[in-house]
Amino acid sequence: MTMDAASRSKEDVSLPKATMTKIIKEMLPPEVRVARDAQDLLVDCCVEFINLISSESNEICNKEEKRTIAPEHVLKALEILGFGEYIEEVHAAYEQHRNETLDSPKAGGKWGKEAGSGMTEEEAIAAQQRMFAEARARMNSGGTQSS
Amino acid sequence: ARIKKIMQADEEVGKIALATPVLISKALELFLQDLCDKTYEITLGRGAKTMSSSHLKQCVQTNSVFDFLREIVSKVPD
Repeated sequence: MTMDAASRSKEDVSLPKATMTKIIKEMLPPEVRVARDAQDLLVDCCVEFINLISSESNEICNKEEKRTIAPEHVLKALEILGFGEYIEEVHAAYEQHRNETLDSPKAGGKWGKEAGSGMTEEEAIAAQQRMFAEARARMNSGGTQSS
Repeated sequence: ARIKKIMQADEEVGKIALATPVLISKALELFLQDLCDKTYEITLGRGAKTMSSSHLKQCVQTNSVFDFLREIVSKVPD
């Protein structure tokens, strides 16, 4: 299968099938089997969900005349779309993630909570961007195993 | 990172705060779990062991919160 990096059409944007299949299997009781087309459908639903939340968040963001989609926009979008019950858990996951990234061991535990967000947040953001770039690079180069 | 890629594929979406994909990823997990659970109930209800796309379709049709998925499942034969 040739993957032409230059021609990035909208169809290329999807979630990796193998990972999704595994996740779906883990979500259901072990003795359940899932038909192949049902699996594909579930993956499509996921992508659709992301698109939905994105565009709704984007609209909310624009209404507030901000240029960057912030977590509050996403939470608001969830509520509007009828996924209000997810909000609590999503928020909890967000808080946990924030605590994990702000407590940077490099700067020493002290900085995290007392010095406020000044330096540590920038470090954390830089670290995150590096992680994203690495993950993206891994995704782009390492996906040719079984296909 | 995948999620950010999908978000940015939409031309209307501008910048995205770093934490946002984290939120969406969690919401997606919950959503998928929800979808799976509800579809599975239908699978059981029909006495089947294999979850098929028609179960998924029925699930979408019976839950108004999944309305946005109607088009996707509409291709599935009844």
